[in-house]
Amino acid sequence: MKKKINIKIRKAKEPLSKKRTPLNLKDRVLQQSNELKEGADREKQGADREKQGADREKQAEEQILIRNKAMEATTDAIFIIDAKTPNFIITYANLSFQNITGYTKKEILGQNYFLLYGPSADLRIIDEIKKTICRGESFYGEMLKFRKNGEKYWCLLRIAPVRDSKGVITHYVGIKSDTTLMKQRNLKIEEQREELLHVTRVGKLAEFVSSLAHEISQPLTAILSYAQAAQRMLKDREPQLQEILQYIINDDQRAAEVIKRMRYLLKKTKPALEPLDFNVIIQDTVSLILPQVTAKGKIVKFELDENLPLIQGDRIQLQQVVLNLISNSLEAMEENKDSHELIIRTSCKDADTILVQVKDSGSGILPENMKKLFTHFFTSKPDGLGMGLSISRSIVEAHGGYLNAENNPDRGAIFYFTIPLNKKDDL
Amino acid sequence: MPSNIYIVDDDESVCRALKTLLMTYGFEVRTFNSAQNFFDAVPNDEPGCLLLDIHMPGLDGWETQKLILASGSKRSVIFISAEKQDSALDRALKLGAIGFLQKPVNGQTLVDLINVTSKIKDRD
Repeated sequence: MKKKINIKIRKAKEPLSKKRTPLNLKDRVLQQSNELKEGADREKQGADREKQGADREKQAEEQILIRNKAMEATTDAIFIIDAKTPNFIITYANLSFQNITGYTKKEILGQNYFLLYGPSADLRIIDEIKKTICRGESFYGEMLKFRKNGEKYWCLLRIAPVRDSKGVITHYVGIKSDTTLMKQRNLKIEEQREELLHVTRVGKLAEFVSSLAHEISQPLTAILSYAQAAQRMLKDREPQLQEILQYIINDDQRAAEVIKRMRYLLKKTKPALEPLDFNVIIQDTVSLILPQVTAKGKIVKFELDENLPLIQGDRIQLQQVVLNLISNSLEAMEENKDSHELIIRTSCKDADTILVQVKDSGSGILPENMKKLFTHFFTSKPDGLGMGLSISRSIVEAHGGYLNAENNPDRGAIFYFTIPLNKKDDL
Repeated sequence: MPSNIYIVDDDESVCRALKTLLMTYGFEVRTFNSAQNFFDAVPNDEPGCLLLDIHMPGLDGWETQKLILASGSKRSVIFISAEKQDSALDRALKLGAIGFLQKPVNGQTLVDLINVTSKIKDRD
């Protein structure tokens, strides 16, 4: 222990003794220049430190600059409101804020934020925003707003409080996104979906009436023939029976008339033929029901032939077929919780025909149901009408193709149909 | 000599009723529940008018008429179906049939049409 301490003391003393007792000039010059060098080094270190500090400052400045530029560059409107004044004064607004609202920087800065909502703004929403942010909470909402020129736009607004180091709210920062285009697109999709569903409903009704008419016509034919036969057999005899038979005939014909009128009201419109890319038909149809697909936890996979030739067809009718097959597949997969995937495939069957396949991994088709699948009123669903597949088949056949189904070797079923590029004549 | 009438319709009740009615006019009537049964029982050259339904399981009315034409038979065919008048009549005539009547069919109209076919046949 002692030894160690001694050594330390000696070492510490050594430079001192050297400084105080220089040996000769050479050594003194050397020592002084060393001292000077040390001093210069010290100065240099200090300068380095200063430089580092300056660099850091510069970096920080640059970062702030980039942040500012980023805020100016973004297509979302960003603004800052002073929270210390009661009037929600805007202290900052980026370029997009000016673009979206239509106000100039001069009109915005120093202005009460809520006055920019315009005279037609919904006061209840403004009140709710104020209350929320004054409570120190974030506001989040989508609303209809007005630009300076009165033009309406949809806006997704988020406002959050900014606190200083003591936790006091000093500002509010807001972001507005113009969602008008998105809204319009959603509305358009919604309209298309409604149109398709309407046409499908009318189509189902027409098909229903048509098959009902067919089924009822058979017994009406028999009744009429029997009554007319009996009338002839009783010719010139039994006037009372003759009269009754005439009533039967009249009422039979009245029933036939009702059916005829019902059919006329719901007569199927002839397909409006136009050149169509079936891949587009499929994608359009899927986009209409995608919300339901994802809600059920299923995935639609496309295997579309990029070189698929155009066909002649009726867009709405063919969309109906695709929609119907997809809906069926989804329902078939609903029972199996572990089946998710639905594959839609297009290909060229041959030079003049395209082939569309909808493959699911659902419960498949029972062998005894296979034959009845496309007949009217056949359904395996508790709430089904039994119209979907028979309508789909008549649409495909009206386009000159055929619709069929098979079970997959592993699981589920595949529905497929063909459409010729040029529909041949009926005969 | 009474003319022969054949009825092909998958609905038994329709067959029986039409047969009953036509017999009151003095026709000789045979009914079949399918086109195949008719082909099996009646040779192509045996005279007689055929009343043919359109919607049937197996061979439908259109296909049956095509087969009759293809066999070279000159049989007169009248389509009787619940199918709508406008498009079906056109198609029936194009396929060489004498006519198309929509169900439920009026007895006298049917008999008049059958008589027209036998007059055509007589002229031939």
